Amino acid sequence: MDEPTLIRLATNGDATAWEPLVLAHQQAVFRLAYLLLGDPDEAEDVAQETFLRAWRALKGFDSTRPLRPWLLSIAANLSRNRYRSAGRYIAALTRAFRNEPAALNIEETSTQNMDANQLWKAVQNLNISDQQIVYLRFFLELSVTETAEVLQVAEGTVKSRLSRALEKLRAIIQHEFPVLIEGREA
Amino acid sequence: MSEIEFEEQLRSIANGMKYPPTPDIAGFVMPRLHTATRARFNSKALAWSLTIVLVLLSSLMLIPSARAAIIDFFQIGVVRIFPPQPTPTLAAPTQEAPATTTPRTATPQPTSDLLSLLKKISGKTTLAGAQQVANYSILLPTYPADLGEPDYVFVQNLDGAVTILVWMNPENPDTVLMSLHFVPSKSWAITKMGPRVIQETQVNGHKGIWAEGPYPLRLYGSSDIEVTRLINGHVLIWADGEITYRLETDLSLEEAVKIAESLAPIP
Repeated sequence: MDEPTLIRLATNGDATAWEPLVLAHQQAVFRLAYLLLGDPDEAEDVAQETFLRAWRALKGFDSTRPLRPWLLSIAANLSRNRYRSAGRYIAALTRAFRNEPAALNIEETSTQNMDANQLWKAVQNLNISDQQIVYLRFFLELSVTETAEVLQVAEGTVKSRLSRALEKLRAIIQHEFPVLIEGREA
Repeated sequence: MSEIEFEEQLRSIANGMKYPPTPDIAGFVMPRLHTATRARFNSKALAWSLTIVLVLLSSLMLIPSARAAIIDFFQIGVVRIFPPQPTPTLAAPTQEAPATTTPRTATPQPTSDLLSLLKKISGKTTLAGAQQVANYSILLPTYPADLGEPDYVFVQNLDGAVTILVWMNPENPDTVLMSLHFVPSKSWAITKMGPRVIQETQVNGHKGIWAEGPYPLRLYGSSDIEVTRLINGHVLIWADGEITYRLETDLSLEEAVKIAESLAPIP
């Protein structure tokens, strides 16, 4: 069954139609939240909330449009709220009682892929809006059109905002993470 | 390096990013779709809405046939508990777990990350510092006698000064023994969705609720912040005046009530 059909069924209250859509997009939603928040537990919270909110708001969604950008848009907004909210504190503390590892060990993963984590750290120096656009275009590999859908701006705006974000990112990399481009400069 | 080359370089590096395994989001979401359409409540409106709800409930509870239909959640202070759907599990008082004299940890598996996590949490203070900020009396358990003062004290302004006391397990310092939360009435609204067991109890004459996990805990702030967290331990919730208390542990109900009833002002 194709996505528009599943969306139409889900909009009419068919929960069984929502499950394949969650399965199809949960990885992208989780990864965007993880990139923005840097914590798998918080990313999981955001991903769960994204799909619950989307389900509640399905009636207002145009089923002819692709679902993923809309879901990523919800996830990004939730992440941004979480990013600056006191809720992070409660989430962190509550996690303590589960007594589970708080987050992926950055140093450990760096040994697995130092460059990618160095780049992630470099991006984290940008403001949250710039981080978001870089994550969408380069980490999740969305097209300009899809990125525009997520950010709910024109494609031209995506290009100009991305250009400015990359300019800042390049300066950060040259100054703080030169290893990422050392030996690669023309 | 040209702009295009730089972008290609970024894309190539980002492509090697290692992500944590994607959790089973669908497994969490699908059983909760029916509650997703339930109207949200917010903490600012809570005092008024709670008053109205309680008046309505207290009237309708007099009609036995209405009782079962109405109780789709329990409310203690700012905490609202939704029983499992469709058939709530209400434990009979005789089904209490046997009392234990040695407190057990809510989650017995130790982790080296816990201490570093606790150290990173903002709002860390002392008992004296917390009492200066909170406009209510911070109480400490006098039972068990050898419990002592909490190992960690946190106060955060979450639309009100929420105080959280944390005791670590002396036998296993990497685990939490229990925590006690003081939540002012204008602070967060807390929802528990479908804990395994819900039981009404009494704490010094005040109605209390005992809930056993695991269950998702959802917190609502006034600025549209929602936090959902899976809790494995049990919790005793009761309210006294403007303060809602949460005692989180995996002790038995009987032990938790003893601890709750032993609360006394800081000496």
